[in-house]
Amino acid sequence: MLILFCVTKWLFSQVPSEVAMDSTAVENLNEVIISATRTKRQLTSIPLPTQLISAKTIAAANSIRLNDILEEQTGLLMVPDFGGVQGLQMQGLDSQYNLILIDGVPLIGRSAGTLDLSRVTVGNIKQIEIVKGPSSSLYGNEALAGIVNIITQTPGTGFTGRFYYRGGTFSSNDLNTELSYKKDKLGLYAFVNRFSNEGYDLVDSDDVNTVEPFHNYTFNTKINYEFSEKVKLFVSGRLYRQEQDNVASASSYNGESQIDEWNFHSKLELTFNESWHSQFEFYTTTYKAEEFLNDAADNLFSYSDFKQRFSRPEFRTVFKPNTHNSFITGVGVQFESLQRTDFFENPKFNSSYLYSQYEYTKNDEFNLILGLRFDRHNEYASQLSPKAAVRYKFNDKLAVKGSVSYGFKTPNFRQLYFDFTNATVGYTVLGYNAVTTIIPELEANGDIANLLVPLSGFEGNLKPERSIGYNFGINLGIDPKLKINLNLFRNEISNLTDTRVIARKTNGQNVFSYYNVNEIYTQGLELNASLKFNKNTVLTTGYQLLYAKDKKAIQAFKNGEVFARLTPTSPAFVLSKKDYFGLLNRSRHMLNFKLSYHMEKWNLDSNIRATYRSKFGLYDNNGNGYLDAYDTFVSGYSIFDFAINKTIFEHFKLGFGMDNFLDFNDPQNISNIAGRIVYGNVTINF
Amino acid sequence: MKSYNTYKTLIFLSVFVFTSCNDDEGSPLPADQYSQITNLHAPMTGGQGQEPSSGSFTKFDFATASVTTSDSDWDIAFRGTTIIVNGGTSTGDADEPERNGNAAAYIKSLPFSEVTSVVVSDFTQDSLEEGLAIPTGSGNGWYTYTGPPEHLILPIPGKTLVIRTHDFKYAKIEILSYYKDLDDSVAGNARYYTFNYLYNANENETTF
Repeated sequence: MLILFCVTKWLFSQVPSEVAMDSTAVENLNEVIISATRTKRQLTSIPLPTQLISAKTIAAANSIRLNDILEEQTGLLMVPDFGGVQGLQMQGLDSQYNLILIDGVPLIGRSAGTLDLSRVTVGNIKQIEIVKGPSSSLYGNEALAGIVNIITQTPGTGFTGRFYYRGGTFSSNDLNTELSYKKDKLGLYAFVNRFSNEGYDLVDSDDVNTVEPFHNYTFNTKINYEFSEKVKLFVSGRLYRQEQDNVASASSYNGESQIDEWNFHSKLELTFNESWHSQFEFYTTTYKAEEFLNDAADNLFSYSDFKQRFSRPEFRTVFKPNTHNSFITGVGVQFESLQRTDFFENPKFNSSYLYSQYEYTKNDEFNLILGLRFDRHNEYASQLSPKAAVRYKFNDKLAVKGSVSYGFKTPNFRQLYFDFTNATVGYTVLGYNAVTTIIPELEANGDIANLLVPLSGFEGNLKPERSIGYNFGINLGIDPKLKINLNLFRNEISNLTDTRVIARKTNGQNVFSYYNVNEIYTQGLELNASLKFNKNTVLTTGYQLLYAKDKKAIQAFKNGEVFARLTPTSPAFVLSKKDYFGLLNRSRHMLNFKLSYHMEKWNLDSNIRATYRSKFGLYDNNGNGYLDAYDTFVSGYSIFDFAINKTIFEHFKLGFGMDNFLDFNDPQNISNIAGRIVYGNVTINF
Repeated sequence: MKSYNTYKTLIFLSVFVFTSCNDDEGSPLPADQYSQITNLHAPMTGGQGQEPSSGSFTKFDFATASVTTSDSDWDIAFRGTTIIVNGGTSTGDADEPERNGNAAAYIKSLPFSEVTSVVVSDFTQDSLEEGLAIPTGSGNGWYTYTGPPEHLILPIPGKTLVIRTHDFKYAKIEILSYYKDLDDSVAGNARYYTFNYLYNANENETTF
């Protein structure tokens, strides 16, 4: 009896202190990820390289748009593209090779290949899940470098609401209102975000601003209804609209650009018994971008539009015969269409797919995933995407994991159907499928001086770009205070699509089209570590080493075909393989630090964050066509941020911070870095 | 603060490791191994817009080492980035001079000083069907075009233009710049060639 009493006392006295002492460890056990398997799984058990960003982390950084928080993560880089958009580079691969999902369904609207992530507010995000490495075995097209899945908030219990405002430099205003209701079987959720910015100019010598004034709205509503424990319905709608001034480099022209996006997502979940569970999902979305310019007399000078539709019904079933084994199978159809200025026809893509994934789990010690997906497409050869991943935990301090997977990306509409002639310079770009129609027309007009690639070269199909990814990771928990995760990666990409000159025009310019040529690889390592000094002070750090190279370029350097000069008039000399730097806009080193401190007495959270990126090249500037050691590089740079948030009476929170407080900027080379941003914010929960 | 130092060390290391330099490759060629033409003006009209490029070519004669207006005693001619030879047939380009000589050319992927002899079988002439002996277009011939935002025309280092003159003599050329006084910071400086060349005045002698 006494012993029992003692044991009970020991248990009860231990448990709370254990929780208080090591709350992150407890949290880690509860961290759940959906994206890797399409079912809820404990993060640590996943045999793939994954990263999870919680709402708490986003709030601590006072982020407002998706790009704000992603650029602070290890190995992720936001790269500016034409028209002020920012795309994500992951494992050294560009925005067009990663798939961005909201609640498991894809975000569309890549007008020039880049999906702009500043479009997405983080105001309604519950967590962001990142799975690196090719993931086409589950997600199909575009999941070549990896996926980012944004999990949005769901109704909590009772009636709750939240109001958030952040104001800062450049008259930027971000306003969120969130209402949530849940009682018995019904859950309702509504969210509104308005984000505006007066724009700013970092380059005085031109007529345009670095960012023109804009404002945008995001609306999101959700309904959850439980017909019974076994039948649940989820319906979600999202609307996004952005209006922005459109100014041409000659100041007499101005106009507006507008983006409208909406999506509808519904899911019916059926639980038959402990082993069988099914979901019917229907998703449809439209993205429309329009812009015009008027001349000084207010007459229309130019207009362009881009309208993409995407619909996808999917049915999937999970079968779990026992605690060790689990199967998931899904089948779906995709319809995609695009209307766009400068296209020679309005293309439609239809595809159907079937995937299956098997998981074996043994007591958190051994995990295995085997997956396979088959995609049938109306324009391309069918794709078969396998994946195998395994994790083994030796003990509480050491676990290893490895995976091999396949990813593909079908050519986009632009690479197939583009028919564009630059009005000021006079060159022409044709999509692969447009060539056999448009070239004869240009020839009939007398625009073609000579054809460099015969039309017979365009009779087959442009092939999907494909990648095989290898990842190997080690998770070390040296003690509860110090955790280190290491991941080595290599992505082998073939059939990479590039442009080449196919004909010479009589105006001295060229006709370009797309073709499969390049083979590249990206490889490197990623290291993440967290060190907990005490219960209130945590340091996290991450590092990525990256080599991203074109195999043909390596060969050219090896063959001694590449030369450089030290000064414009000095003799040319041959370069060696070690002089080849790699692909454009890739940094060899990226580093981040975050030091968080919680001051209990004042209920105050503060953090200081830093990101560093080593030198990179934006273009070849010594004429040899490759980025080599004798080119001019953009110097490495660091950005430092800090944020303080104070909670008052549980329901109120005040925040203050400075992003990029050392005011680094380089608008010529890195147009998405605005310089120092000072802000304040307030959150009211009710 | 330890972390900050580590961070600085890493930055320092990365700068140190990836900044290497070869000092021995900047010395100029001996003066007897080349001649230089500076700021050869090669204007062009049209071309940049919808209309075909036009305007007369700037003709160059190796024997006199100068720009010429002669109808027959010229070897190569420049207009914008286009270089034609006085040999072959018309490519259909507006305002091309009549080709009445035996000039021909090819591009050798070797530094200027290392091209010491001529491979006669490599020569081609201009024609409508085959295009120009010295191809145009970024990366195809003697230059690369950087595209936006700089829009520069940069000579490809290590590309030597080997020329047969209109009267069966041989020369080699290394284009150094497409901009007046080598200054590419002003767009208006474009279409001024500076090049090194070596001309062998002995007929049919194929070495330099």
